[in-house]
Amino acid sequence: MKKYLCIMRSKPANNEKCEAPSPTDMEAMFAKFNAWKEEFKDNIIDMGGKLADGKVVTSEKVIDGPFAETNEIAGGFMIVAAEDIEKAVLVAQKSPGVYPGSSVEVREINQP
Amino acid sequence: MTSSATTVSSLAENFFRHEYGRLVSSLSRRVGLAYMEQVEDSVQSALVKGLESWTLNGLPDNPAAWLYKVASNHLLERLRQNNNQQRILSGNTEDIFEFLIGRNSPSNPVQQKLSDEPDCDLLRLLFVCCNDDVPQESQLVFALKALCGFNVIEISKRIFSSEENVYKRYSRAKKILQKLPTESWDLSASEYHPRLPNVHKVIYLLFTEGYLSANGQHTIRLDLCLEAIRLATVLSDYTIGQYPETYALLALMHLHLARMTGRQSQSGGLLLLEEQDRSLWDKSLIAEGIRWIEMSATGDNFSRYHAEAGVAAEHCLASNYQDTRWQQIASCYEILEKKLPSAIHRLNRAIAVAEWKGPKAGLEILIEFEPPSWLLGSHLWFAVLADLHRRCGNFIKARGYYDHAIGLAPTNGVRQLIKRRFDSSF
Repeated sequence: MKKYLCIMRSKPANNEKCEAPSPTDMEAMFAKFNAWKEEFKDNIIDMGGKLADGKVVTSEKVIDGPFAETNEIAGGFMIVAAEDIEKAVLVAQKSPGVYPGSSVEVREINQP
Repeated sequence: MTSSATTVSSLAENFFRHEYGRLVSSLSRRVGLAYMEQVEDSVQSALVKGLESWTLNGLPDNPAAWLYKVASNHLLERLRQNNNQQRILSGNTEDIFEFLIGRNSPSNPVQQKLSDEPDCDLLRLLFVCCNDDVPQESQLVFALKALCGFNVIEISKRIFSSEENVYKRYSRAKKILQKLPTESWDLSASEYHPRLPNVHKVIYLLFTEGYLSANGQHTIRLDLCLEAIRLATVLSDYTIGQYPETYALLALMHLHLARMTGRQSQSGGLLLLEEQDRSLWDKSLIAEGIRWIEMSATGDNFSRYHAEAGVAAEHCLASNYQDTRWQQIASCYEILEKKLPSAIHRLNRAIAVAEWKGPKAGLEILIEFEPPSWLLGSHLWFAVLADLHRRCGNFIKARGYYDHAIGLAPTNGVRQLIKRRFDSSF
């Protein structure tokens, strides 16, 4: 099995009206997530997590990051094991965490 | 089935919604209804955190306690900020912090009690909101939002009202309740009892909103019925609610719910009582309803709930339409009419009497009766008159009433039902 790094990206939070999920919505999301985790339990080896703000380090300096001008901010990551990229993509595709306006970058982690 | 316990949800059905109600009740009790906004924000935020954390890390040992802790920490933080910004040192703010922190510690016996009796505060808030100063429609919305955990959009779908209207009703209840002195939270035993009829009424309304509405999806309506049963069941767990009326209310709700599955045809149309397949009625719900009826048969007050449960029980226990004990049903409606004069009860009595003694006897009950204007705007009055006149052979009169009924039918489903009832009569 190869390993893949999945990087979740989304547009920087805009201040458009975003309806808070109701408890009923949350229950539905929780069920979806669990069904997805169950379906791919052999593939999801590290659920990773949300990424908070941090710093960007270069050889010259350390600045607050990620860069504000980037279109999409990496907001989370996870590590998936799969035979090939197609399967890894499927895991990411079916994740309830992928919604309109967000994307997942799936990259194989080279194991020399 | 191979399921690993770590990834599969083991939360009770409607966990998020019901925890919302419990947390709002517990926290608002501790800090006072004046801080209702902050309480609701904190509960919402705790649920979102729970969702995020549990999907990543799996469920904690005690998800309810986890939420309580997160929500009360959040609330504490909010109140402190509030305090610093506005410099409101009203004296009792510090007490509130003490209160929250005290309840937070796991070794605290009160916390222990809290997890043993999670619905105690819920029930208390229900009694608090069933205050005579709060309009009944606002009581209903308040119960749906604060106690049952539906949001404004969900409530508006369930009670067929605009979101704006739901929001207004909720704000109204909140505004009135926020002005109550904090002590009013701790109703004394003698203050609980006078509010019991209001509590029954709100639960009953919640149920009928779900049961009687001709619109809406089955599952959405079922939600309301189940919430009403849940609240009444909680009520029956505590001495303040252990009265025959509570049991009769539970009986009637179970007995109505038992028949809900049989009310619709496979294509979703409504069915007449005599058309319904009685084998589809839920026997375990009927048995439970009958058990509640037995519990309710004490004391000397035969309430409206007793009478309505009596009617429902007669229908549930009759093996078919013809064998229904219409005499019993007619007498229950007669009692209802005396207790709670309403044209609907008279109409229902006329139907029962028509089945028992014949259509002429039924008609006599309606003939000397002056219906209120709201009933004259409803298809029910005209449909019943059309039916009784038709069965008495007065076809011309029947036809006139029939046309009226068709014109007033609120939905297409009801219109089809009336048409079928009179199929080939004219």
